[in-house]
Amino acid sequence: MGTEVSTSPTSLIDQTVVPGDVVLDLSNMTNQTIKLGSGLFQDNDAISAMRAGKLRYTKPNKYWVESSHKRYIPRPEDAVLGIVVDSKSDNFWVDIKGPQLALLPVLAFEGGTRRNIPKFEVGTLLYVRVVKTNTGMNPELSCTDASGKAAGFGPLKDGFMFETSTGLSRMLLSSPTCPVLEALGKKLSFETAFGLNGRVWVHAAAPRVVIIVANALMNSETLSGTQQRIMVEKLLEKISE
Amino acid sequence: MEIDRVDGRTPNQLRPLACSRNILHRPHGSASWSQGDTKVLAAVYGPKAGTKKNENAEKACFEVIWKPKTGQIGKVEKECEMILKRTIQSICVLTVNPNTTTSVIIQVVHDDGSLLPCAINAACAALVDAGIPMKHLAVAICCCLADNGYVVLDPNKLEEKKMSAFAYLVFPNTTLSVLPEGSSVAEGEPVEHGIITSVTHGVMSVDDYFLCVENGHAATASLSAFFRKNFQQSQRDSSKAG
Repeated sequence: MGTEVSTSPTSLIDQTVVPGDVVLDLSNMTNQTIKLGSGLFQDNDAISAMRAGKLRYTKPNKYWVESSHKRYIPRPEDAVLGIVVDSKSDNFWVDIKGPQLALLPVLAFEGGTRRNIPKFEVGTLLYVRVVKTNTGMNPELSCTDASGKAAGFGPLKDGFMFETSTGLSRMLLSSPTCPVLEALGKKLSFETAFGLNGRVWVHAAAPRVVIIVANALMNSETLSGTQQRIMVEKLLEKISE
Repeated sequence: MEIDRVDGRTPNQLRPLACSRNILHRPHGSASWSQGDTKVLAAVYGPKAGTKKNENAEKACFEVIWKPKTGQIGKVEKECEMILKRTIQSICVLTVNPNTTTSVIIQVVHDDGSLLPCAINAACAALVDAGIPMKHLAVAICCCLADNGYVVLDPNKLEEKKMSAFAYLVFPNTTLSVLPEGSSVAEGEPVEHGIITSVTHGVMSVDDYFLCVENGHAATASLSAFFRKNFQQSQRDSSKAG
């Protein structure tokens, strides 16, 4: 028989939680505003976990459950890679690997007016920003940042796109730079775009560079920092022989 | 008087459990669960946009497909699909992704007794792997009643055939909580004492049924602990870089 937890733990922060674990007791915390991120839901006075993952907390008041999946749950201000599936007169329908298709208004570009509407074919890869996500409605996207400038958003030409889990995308986007990217960047020159929805785009002058970078990124999910550097060194050695 | 089981287990002892998640490439969540020789593979796709015709568009919809090891799909499989669908609907939070459909596909790899509980456990693990929001996990167990009134847990195929009656019981898992003991109550009893699904075969008296429920409930603690440990280990393996 498993060991019973006889006394309730005082805090589950930074521990693995499973759906159903009650992580916060609101009756002890009156007069505080708490922000609940993904993976937590409120059941009267108790906050419990909806997903399995690690419970995280940053001051002053943000709690969330961190987990890595193949599907993406859209959140505002996320930069994602979407694929156009249809275009209508008012907006483009874009697939961002979420539960629903997202809408990209035709005028949501820098300097966009009714006269210079961009024409995207079905299958175009776009680097977009999520603007609004309301339950029950399709998420809305935009190709400008909050102040209206292009800031790198828009269609991505050439290159190679592959899909990974959301956890790997978060790791590759973390700062300081991820060790695998540092090690690759020292020897090779390439361009990448990471979407928080688990899509990665790589572009370089030669196809073999693209293949090396893509394989290195796909293999680096479960490796620690030093292991990533060793893997990249071995890959580059093999190639230069 | 002790019951002699063929493989030497005590009446309350479960077969060795094994669970692995994220084993299939295409589905968004997948898991395989085996209890002794019974093994079931579960795959989850979704949530995808749109619901079926007669379903409520303000809630998430679930669809279950049960594939037997051999033979065509018949009434037995449809019944298992319906039981699984109702169980999943009661453990998942349906209001988070309205107007979406999530598909759960169960493939029976080997049936050596206690098949439906094994499938429910596998489906639950696959849903966790896919990140579908859930209120709590479901832990399923098979309890059967021998001729002399003893309750035996987790029978294999031969034992199931010899028993006079058996019941598949599904309970919520035991959860960690920062609340003081006993405060998560629903109508006067702790939430953990609830029961989600119960399917019985054969004839048993009411007292015997409640005895089965008690014994089954006692075993949920070890199943929950196994699930939690399994999940923690896979987290540790995959987050060394984090």
